[in-house]
Amino acid sequence: MRPEGRGPNVVLLSLTLVALAAWLGLDSVSVAANRIVSGTGYRVDEVIGAGGALATSLPWLALAGLAWQPARRHLLLALALVVLMLSALPGWLALSAVFLVDGAQARLGIGAGIWVVLFLLLLVMIELRSRLALTRLLGWALLLPPVLSMGFCLARWLEPLALWQEYRGRSGQFLGAVGEHLLLVGVAVGTSLVLGVLLALAMRRWPGVQKMGFGVLNFLQTIPSIALFGLLLAPLAWLSANVDWLSALGVSGIGWAPALLALVGYSLLPMVRNTFVALEAVDPGVIDAARGMGMSRSQVFRQVRLPLALPVILEGIRITTVQAIGLTAVAALIGAGGLGTFIFQGLGQAAMDMVLLGALPILLLALLVDALLGALTDILRPGGAE
Amino acid sequence: MNEIRRWVVPLGWLALLLATTFGMGQLEGLFRWIEADSRQVIYARADFVTLLGRHLLVVSVAAVLAIMLGVGAAIAATRDWGRDFLPLVSQLASIGQTFPPVAVLALAVPVLGFGTLPIIVALLLYGLLPIVRNTLAGLEGIDPGVMEAARGMGMSGGQILRQVELPLAAPVILAGIRTSVTINIATAAIGATVGASNLGDPIISGIVNGNTAYVVQGALLIGLLAISVDSLFSRLPLAGSR
Repeated sequence: MRPEGRGPNVVLLSLTLVALAAWLGLDSVSVAANRIVSGTGYRVDEVIGAGGALATSLPWLALAGLAWQPARRHLLLALALVVLMLSALPGWLALSAVFLVDGAQARLGIGAGIWVVLFLLLLVMIELRSRLALTRLLGWALLLPPVLSMGFCLARWLEPLALWQEYRGRSGQFLGAVGEHLLLVGVAVGTSLVLGVLLALAMRRWPGVQKMGFGVLNFLQTIPSIALFGLLLAPLAWLSANVDWLSALGVSGIGWAPALLALVGYSLLPMVRNTFVALEAVDPGVIDAARGMGMSRSQVFRQVRLPLALPVILEGIRITTVQAIGLTAVAALIGAGGLGTFIFQGLGQAAMDMVLLGALPILLLALLVDALLGALTDILRPGGAE
Repeated sequence: MNEIRRWVVPLGWLALLLATTFGMGQLEGLFRWIEADSRQVIYARADFVTLLGRHLLVVSVAAVLAIMLGVGAAIAATRDWGRDFLPLVSQLASIGQTFPPVAVLALAVPVLGFGTLPIIVALLLYGLLPIVRNTLAGLEGIDPGVMEAARGMGMSGGQILRQVELPLAAPVILAGIRTSVTINIATAAIGATVGASNLGDPIISGIVNGNTAYVVQGALLIGLLAISVDSLFSRLPLAGSR
């Protein structure tokens, strides 16, 4: 790695140039007359003319210029510029809506160009964040202006945005689905946390349980999720038909029951593995010292072993939760509800905006949970946050 | 002798997979018992051999592309001329891990349309990440002393890569490929909802029509396929134990 300030920052430069090419070369927005027909794509120069397109490439060139001589001052400027550009993207959508959309039924779609540019700008932010050695928290805070700008533009000018129309058509249903999704994930992760810790403790006591437990859990993990959901259909349907109190509880072959069972089954492996490894990995010297101080067996466990193992256990919770968020989307196929419902309904009706309405929040949810739990792990690690 | 015994388990799974694929019709009695009310209990819209073949084709095309791209990118990012990209590539690989496969698949459809192509692209993108991550970990984890020694012996950069780095990193890289392929076998089944025809078909059709027998047939074959492939990987000479 070259020392800072010597020679151009190749990563930044290439990201910027690729993004500029995508911005000018790909369809930026699309307009459809209504929900059913597929839209016509428009490049930037088709929206505001060649002169305007040239003007929009100025900030990119400035970014490339800053990357050419990456002194710290320049990189900070570049970061500010990127935040500004991200905040301006919703404004660009609003502008396109004014130019292109007429008629109450018409919808404005976000084109490939904008998605690619958005992705590349976020990569630029990651690169700048690590070059400037900014904290993770600050990195997230920098996303606030673009998010606020998006919210403001949605409220004022972006009525024809297809995704937004799709949301407003079923906002109650959407919020319900988010709630269902979170509930399923929460219950599954909570249950598997309790079961996982108990199982890990049993494994520490009886080596036989350990060998068999990991064998079964590893095997379970190999079965594809969609297959496991399907396989639980028959036994649960049979149970609900033959056991009265189960059917009174609402257990049946489809719905939340098989989804929850499968989610817990999948969540157990990472949970047990991390808890077990975390408890085992505590330095025996530390345990000896604690025993030497006259701590009782349970004191050692509660005051020494558990706190030291906590970061790795949390890591297990993070992996499990992120995985469960994705798996719950598949569970919509067996009628468990949640955001996956929009994905599969949308695919069935070939309504792509509806697919996005399901897929984007799932993606955001996974990223958000990952970031939050990651930050929590950092804080709880002995020695605190770095 | 040991050599043979090592392959008994994976070959056993493979034999079971093939036997079930070809002999599904013979199991009609069993499925009749599971699904007593339906007129038809064996999925018949396409035969299972074709479905299995298509499933394998999609997964292997995606896997081959993902291995070439992933290992290539990780090697490039660990060379002297590509080091600048290393932090970005490794961060991208770890962030990408949090993307749920279904969401990736769903996002590929609006861009690429229905059919087999979006599946291959989604599987490729998703399969890339564990491979990149593990290749980076494998290459970065090599003892600097070993590299020093290789350089001291007068080996060129290419020689070091082929004769020292890749062999030493192989177990970790292979573990990444194994994760990638196992996940993709399962994810490809979800592809049946976006119009690709594979072993996910009977499952989706069974769930939609309320025919449990179809679901069991699809799930059984996908499960057997995943277990066969996973156990084949675990027996490869280079594979480290997980």
